[in-house]
Amino acid sequence: MSDVAVASRIDEFVAAVRSVVEPEHIYESRLGRFEVDGMLPDVALAPRTVEELVACLSEAHETGLSIIPFGGGTHIGAGNVPESYDVAVSVERINRIAAYEPADLTITAGGGLRLQDLQAVLGARGQFLPLDPPSGGGATIGGVLAANAYGPRRHAFGTARDWLIGSRVVHADGTVSKGGGRVVKNVAGYDMPKLYVGSFGTLGVIAEATFKVAPLPKLEATVVVACDSAHAACTLLFAAHDAGLALHAAELLSPPATSAVLGEHRWMILARAAGGAGAIDRSLRELHEMAAGLQAAFEIRDSAQTWRSWNDAFKPGALSLRVIVMPSSVADAIEVLDRRLVGSAPLLSATVSAGVIRAQLEPTREARAGVLIERTREVAERYDGTVVVDAASPAVKRLIDVFGPLRPDFAIMKRLKQEFDPARRLAPGRFVGRL
Amino acid sequence: MSTSSETPAVPEVKGERPQSIVTRQVVRELERALGRERVISTPEELIAYEFDGTIERGKPQAVVFPETTEQVAVAVKIAHRFDVPVIPRGAGTGLSGGAVATIGGVVIALTRMKRILEIDAINRLAVVEPGVVNLDLSGAVAKHDLYYAPDPSSQRACTIGGNVAENAGGPHCLAYGATTNHVIGMELVLADGEVVWAGGRTRDVTGYDLAGAFVGSEGTLAIATKIIVRLLKVSESTRTLLAIFDRVEDASNAVSAIIAAGIVPAALEMMDRNIIRAVEPVLHAGYPLDAEAVLLIEVDGLEEGTIEEADAIVRICRDHAAREVRIAVQQEERELLWAGRKTSISALGRLYPNYYVLDGVVPRTRLPEVLRETYAVADRYGLAVANVFHAGDGNLHPNLLFDERVPGITAKVLEAGAEIMRLCVEAGGSITGEHGVGLEKRDFISWIFNETDLASMGKLKRAFKAGEHYNPCKAFPTHKGCGEVSQAQVQRAAAAMGAEIYV
Repeated sequence: MSDVAVASRIDEFVAAVRSVVEPEHIYESRLGRFEVDGMLPDVALAPRTVEELVACLSEAHETGLSIIPFGGGTHIGAGNVPESYDVAVSVERINRIAAYEPADLTITAGGGLRLQDLQAVLGARGQFLPLDPPSGGGATIGGVLAANAYGPRRHAFGTARDWLIGSRVVHADGTVSKGGGRVVKNVAGYDMPKLYVGSFGTLGVIAEATFKVAPLPKLEATVVVACDSAHAACTLLFAAHDAGLALHAAELLSPPATSAVLGEHRWMILARAAGGAGAIDRSLRELHEMAAGLQAAFEIRDSAQTWRSWNDAFKPGALSLRVIVMPSSVADAIEVLDRRLVGSAPLLSATVSAGVIRAQLEPTREARAGVLIERTREVAERYDGTVVVDAASPAVKRLIDVFGPLRPDFAIMKRLKQEFDPARRLAPGRFVGRL
Repeated sequence: MSTSSETPAVPEVKGERPQSIVTRQVVRELERALGRERVISTPEELIAYEFDGTIERGKPQAVVFPETTEQVAVAVKIAHRFDVPVIPRGAGTGLSGGAVATIGGVVIALTRMKRILEIDAINRLAVVEPGVVNLDLSGAVAKHDLYYAPDPSSQRACTIGGNVAENAGGPHCLAYGATTNHVIGMELVLADGEVVWAGGRTRDVTGYDLAGAFVGSEGTLAIATKIIVRLLKVSESTRTLLAIFDRVEDASNAVSAIIAAGIVPAALEMMDRNIIRAVEPVLHAGYPLDAEAVLLIEVDGLEEGTIEEADAIVRICRDHAAREVRIAVQQEERELLWAGRKTSISALGRLYPNYYVLDGVVPRTRLPEVLRETYAVADRYGLAVANVFHAGDGNLHPNLLFDERVPGITAKVLEAGAEIMRLCVEAGGSITGEHGVGLEKRDFISWIFNETDLASMGKLKRAFKAGEHYNPCKAFPTHKGCGEVSQAQVQRAAAAMGAEIYV
């Protein structure tokens, strides 16, 4: 399609949505915050209701424009480089809490609600959603779901799939479908909400989500344990896990990561104990004893400040990678990565029980980033693992599939995309296998 | 159970239903491919495969017993080639008719695929075949102090494959989640015989979460031939509490107060008066016959934590007028407290010859009113109802009690059941929490999902190339040719219901 043809379609689209979305929420200039991999859309919209969102999507569908759904933009660096990008549809104004009954431990909210605002509402009633991706404050629940973003609490609480119980999604052609429900236990119909977690907006835009939530722990304490090696640290972490200690997070940091987060150059365990007074006391005591057995230094740190620093260090950066291996391989893999990536200031942090190693790198030159990804993949493969690129420059991303090799069930995924978005209007090229 | 089909068929969910019936030729092909010892087809042999744990029946023309993935794939291919339905089956303990051959076909019984292929204790996972019995898996990993968390009451008999199909729950899914939270990867045989893996050994497989979408698909998408499950560490301390109440209302409010206090127990079960009256004379568990409700609550974790939580729960129950609260710490004492719950359904047989088990969910805060209305519905139909349920997550199991020899009673039971399901939906809940939609509730599903919702599910089905080859006429509103379960069928089946029913 020629540029002129696209321009006229955009004009046609903008004219049509003007009757739907308030003009001050249709942006045709200063579109920098909607940048994706160096590409800017021609227009961005922020509908206020699901009905408006439906109108925007069906209009774009008919006009033949490609769309990238936008939350807070904090994880927008993930995913492959888009094949085309005409319209940004932001859900940030679809942020109403539709239902919250604390005694039910469930909450239903618009996809544009910021995760931190959701946590504030829940926190006022002594509850929380145990997802803590390193995103900065702007992340929306829709974005967190679409990117399947998670943080250190994964150690105890799993991922978004374990907490999402219902979804309302607007598909490429503007149809709206509901999946799941508002009750914590429900097996009616296929479990559609699972499909949208980690789908990067390629099947539809998450307009509303219902979560089950958890009570906030009565008390919390954050401890650090300095270890001589990743192996020593993992031995301790496995022992703590086996002892059933009340830990809501248990990260293993490489020496450079510890420098960045805590100001010391050591292998370090960063753990969050949580629960009632008795359970916390016991957990801290046993951790202390385990540390003493390894002659490892044990210290209690300020929770809020420590985890904020961790978050700052590991939110998507210039080059952010996630290595997935089996928990039993973490110690080996992280030590090898620490050596192999040296020179790029690699910050490594592993959620050991989940087998996830985050690598935050500062490539000095563009060309070096590709080499670092390649090296990381080699290490991961040595341990039967995979690597996902959570953030990288567009030039680097163009050369690879950020999700790594295709999985055996890719053919089913391809048919699923074809079923939901045959014209490939939604985030074309962004997903696994450039779907 | 199926009511009048006022709901229009929803063609989007449906593929083309297999047109053919199983002929001698199909059976011969199956025998040739799998060996005669793995195929049965005489009417006498097939009787045991006509029903599951429900009152539904349907006669398959053949049952095959594959022992490998390849044999499953071969059987599926033959069925596909002859355009006959395939009905996957585990132990047949299901409570929604999911394993019933509604329109006939080939049942693929996975009970001979019962090997535990791998136990990876360090990474806390196991790779199992679908026919492994739920409790056997926990038994096999016990030496590592591990267990498999989902614990449907049929766990001594039901299989992991069946659990996957139904997304089975159990008393302990309040804290630990249902099957879907514990299954991370599966080898699947698609309807055309293709074998493919979805998910894997970690949860971070990239792409759409097809393993997640597959769990709970009730045998309509594919057959799982290998399943990777997560295992949990056995807690060092478990405390079981039994609280006795004079009013159902007080017990319900105590449930809400426990949750509001920030405690999510491992299990939180309730039994009402009719259950107490059925259980006590058999079990002598010490339930007062004049009590209206009993709560069974379990907390686990570190010793210090369970002491704190148990103390708090005792206080809350007392504040809500509990007549008595007992605590058990040792395994034997705990089992005694659980015994009443676990045998409750079969004990109902003492009160009435027949019972019909329902499975509805409501938001926990709506429990008191939905319970009240459930009693009112039963009253209106002149039926007795006994409630035993997972109060913590709002999952109700009202049991309608009746004597099928009373003329016209079965129809009343089905109507009352539908009305109670309606109550659950109107309270913002669902028509099934853990038993599945199956055959019973396929026409109720449109109470909670509209045509577009169902159409999106149809897209998933097409992505799996499933058509209607796998388990036709299940889980979604009926379409032409699925037929209705006749009154006569229902009555015959109801008469045959035994004690081996679980909730």
